[in-house]
Amino acid sequence: MVGIDRRLLQNVDWALIAVAFGLVVMSAVTLASLHVGRAGGSVVVRQLIWFLIGLIALILLGSLDYRRLVRAAPAIYLLGLMGLAAVFVLGRTVSGARRWVVFGPLSIQPSEIFKVCFLLMVVWAITSRWAQPVGKITLALTLPILAVPIVLIIKQPDLGTAILLVPVLGILLIGAGMRLKLLGGLALASLAAMPLAWLALKEYQRERILVFLDPFRDPLGSAYNVIQAKIAIGSGQLLGKGVAGATQSRLAFLPERHTDFIFAVFAEMWGFVGCLVLLFCYVLLLLRGFDIAASAREPVGRLLALGATTLIAAQVLINVGMVTGLLPVVGIPLPMMSYGGSSMVASFMTLGLLLSVRMRQFQ
Amino acid sequence: MVIATAVILGFVVLIGQLWYLQVLEGGRFLDASDKNRIRIRPIAAPRGILYDRNGTPLVDNRPAFTLSLIPRELPRDVESRDAVLGRVASLLNIPYQELLDAVARVQLDSFLPVRVRRGLTLTDVAKVEEWKLELPGVITEVEPQRVYPTSRFAAHLLGYVREANDEQLKQGRYRRGDMVGQSGLERLLDEYLRGQDGGERIEVDAMGRQVRRVQQMEPHAGAQVVTTIDRGFQEAAERAMDGHAGAVVVMDPRNGDVLAMVSTPAFEIDRFTGTIEREAWLRVVQDPNFPLLNRTIQSQYAPGSVFKIIVAAAGLQEGSITPLDRTFCNGEFRLGTFAFKDWKEGGHGLVDLHQSIVHSCNIFFYQAGLKIGAPAIVKYASAFGFSQPTGVDLPGEKLGFLPQPKAVRGRATKTWPAGETVNMSIGQGAVLVTPMQVARFMSAVANGGVLWRPRLVQRVERSERGVVWADRGQVSGHVELSPVVWAFLRQSMWAVVNDGGTGVGARIPGLDIAGKTGTAQMISKSRADKGQDHAWFAAFAPAKAPEVVVVVLVERGGKGGQVAAPIARKILNAIFYEKVAAVEVDG
Repeated sequence: MVGIDRRLLQNVDWALIAVAFGLVVMSAVTLASLHVGRAGGSVVVRQLIWFLIGLIALILLGSLDYRRLVRAAPAIYLLGLMGLAAVFVLGRTVSGARRWVVFGPLSIQPSEIFKVCFLLMVVWAITSRWAQPVGKITLALTLPILAVPIVLIIKQPDLGTAILLVPVLGILLIGAGMRLKLLGGLALASLAAMPLAWLALKEYQRERILVFLDPFRDPLGSAYNVIQAKIAIGSGQLLGKGVAGATQSRLAFLPERHTDFIFAVFAEMWGFVGCLVLLFCYVLLLLRGFDIAASAREPVGRLLALGATTLIAAQVLINVGMVTGLLPVVGIPLPMMSYGGSSMVASFMTLGLLLSVRMRQFQ
Repeated sequence: MVIATAVILGFVVLIGQLWYLQVLEGGRFLDASDKNRIRIRPIAAPRGILYDRNGTPLVDNRPAFTLSLIPRELPRDVESRDAVLGRVASLLNIPYQELLDAVARVQLDSFLPVRVRRGLTLTDVAKVEEWKLELPGVITEVEPQRVYPTSRFAAHLLGYVREANDEQLKQGRYRRGDMVGQSGLERLLDEYLRGQDGGERIEVDAMGRQVRRVQQMEPHAGAQVVTTIDRGFQEAAERAMDGHAGAVVVMDPRNGDVLAMVSTPAFEIDRFTGTIEREAWLRVVQDPNFPLLNRTIQSQYAPGSVFKIIVAAAGLQEGSITPLDRTFCNGEFRLGTFAFKDWKEGGHGLVDLHQSIVHSCNIFFYQAGLKIGAPAIVKYASAFGFSQPTGVDLPGEKLGFLPQPKAVRGRATKTWPAGETVNMSIGQGAVLVTPMQVARFMSAVANGGVLWRPRLVQRVERSERGVVWADRGQVSGHVELSPVVWAFLRQSMWAVVNDGGTGVGARIPGLDIAGKTGTAQMISKSRADKGQDHAWFAAFAPAKAPEVVVVVLVERGGKGGQVAAPIARKILNAIFYEKVAAVEVDG
């Protein structure tokens, strides 16, 4: 392993770590109040175990030189793709989707971990000498990197994760100096291809989008989640109902309440003020991330930090957006809050990359 | 910088939406959450049906009414809640304490109905509906419940179904109020028989009346189980055993299928399903006749003279005796200072092996046993599967017992007393067997030496997925005897029933039955006529091409030939007579 000299340690971004810990604590408290699962606190305990695993991943990635990671990106990316493909062979089906691979007591969701592999690969591709100057060649090089995993992930099906990869690529291209005109043209072209995508969607995914456009299309079925989540959030009012009074969440009106819809639970318990605190934590985290990107002195570190930050930002915005009814329901977890081991580890790996860039900004 | 600004902008939009939802519209949503009177009404899945081999159901389900409480809809303050419970107690004659206990066990803000009492009568239901407005949080539900052809029908085989007990709830696989198989096949196959409960979310008004159904999940019925039992045979065997304590096993010697399995006295299987009163429970548990015991596999008895078939097989195959050997039986056999008696005062006179089996002469077998030696007898007995589990699907099977004399050059050691060998030769002494083991042994005699694992379940089927589990039967051992020996044994056993032997009580003209009687002494110098002995009869029919083996054991019944053989006759009669009748109807 790379030796850690004092100068590296001096540059550890403690504020970033402190905010992440704060989010994990909020997650544990929220999960503990839900009484999900068979034995009382097992979900909380599992979440904390995953947090520890995530912490190890963070320290590991932080201590590695990110440039070496990026150089190894093609291999890592291939491994990630194999993980995605493994789901079809070894996968376990949960509520109709094959997203998990089971290793003994652990079940891992490769698409979560893949996000990090994807980020490294895109950074590698954009900064590689073949992609210079940034322009049409760069696009031609990076689009296949996006297309292959998207097909695999949509097949699982896991629409949320697939959608997430798009903004990461887009922001990285902009960050690398791609002309907006070119990207805009691409966006228009893909918009024109939308009807085709519609055909590729699963029935329940189409239904979700239709329900988003018109919640009262099916108030008894698919829209049930959205309506109940809105009631939960709204009834929290300014100061929240506290743990005991959060009837919406505790009485199981809310489906997926410990995973994708955990924000609604939090909002019901702690109200608008609590939500402000939570969102402020995320904003703080993201601002640190953008700061790391801005203060990096070479393009690899800058793009990596930018991409890592974008990854977290996109997840938070899409998750909270869908829970509050602003976006369609697409099954993206709230980083560091939602229950789920792979998501937790992936989030901490992302933070580890950020730390690695920060620690080496003067080298 | 531009990107960071865009992200911040996104957060501002989110906060705006939260402001709108929580602060501007918060009151409205709070109202909505309070009015969110959605009731989750579980719909119990019907338990899978157990069928006999011909597709006739052994158990069925019928809708039954259950009284349930919804904790969240009971009055909040303790006083008026207790008043509601008191009203229920006096209306339906339920102990008040029972209701208090039921409420104390659950979270008070739970929507899930707590089942308090099953098996309500229609009158009870009418009373609850009539008082509905005075009884907030009290509802009646319809659930499928087990019904049995008769109260004690195949009680040990099927087993009873009851609400999950505290122990089972701790394992976490069951919810309170779930019906769980507690014994017999119901327990063994519980995973399959339990369906998947469905449920519906219904919106109710302040009075608890359903306004509309919000969501529904269909319950999935449990899997269908096809057993090897023949319901007709089972009923016939139960009728034949009426009034006796003991066991009957009817087996198909060609494949080990258990066609009937009766243990008497049986418990009232349907009484165990609902709430059983304390006294009724104690009556069953403390009954000196142990009605909960499955005597076919869980009770061990001395085999008595049934064991002589094994002694004869050992002697003939090893060559230590021949069919030509003769003994003069004067009713007494002296070994040292001990005198071993024959059951027949004055003895049987001059007898050979065949006659000794037919008339169950003890004196001949005492001498034969000494010639053959205990190790050889034990060797053949264990080859026929004694002292080993039969591997039947039900739990708690007893192994029986065979003594282990150590052979020194073919002879017993000093520590093994010759008197033990003498006793063992007529199936007394230390040897213990279960009726199921005897049935497996008798099947091997009938089919020429194949030991089948007794099979109770043929297959488990789900309506949507077809066969999910199947038992194709399994041979668990093989006994090699010369064909001449097999023929001799069958011939002698045929004569036991049809040629003036001890089993004449089982004789049915026109049907070739082969069998062997046994009378197992419980205590020394017991008297069969005083009903101190266990009566055995093990038979197969038709002798030439056996289709069924019938083993009857009557506890403290008396002589095998006088008590057990007539019962076997009734069963065989029902099996073959009704079979013929069925064919005629079909034709």
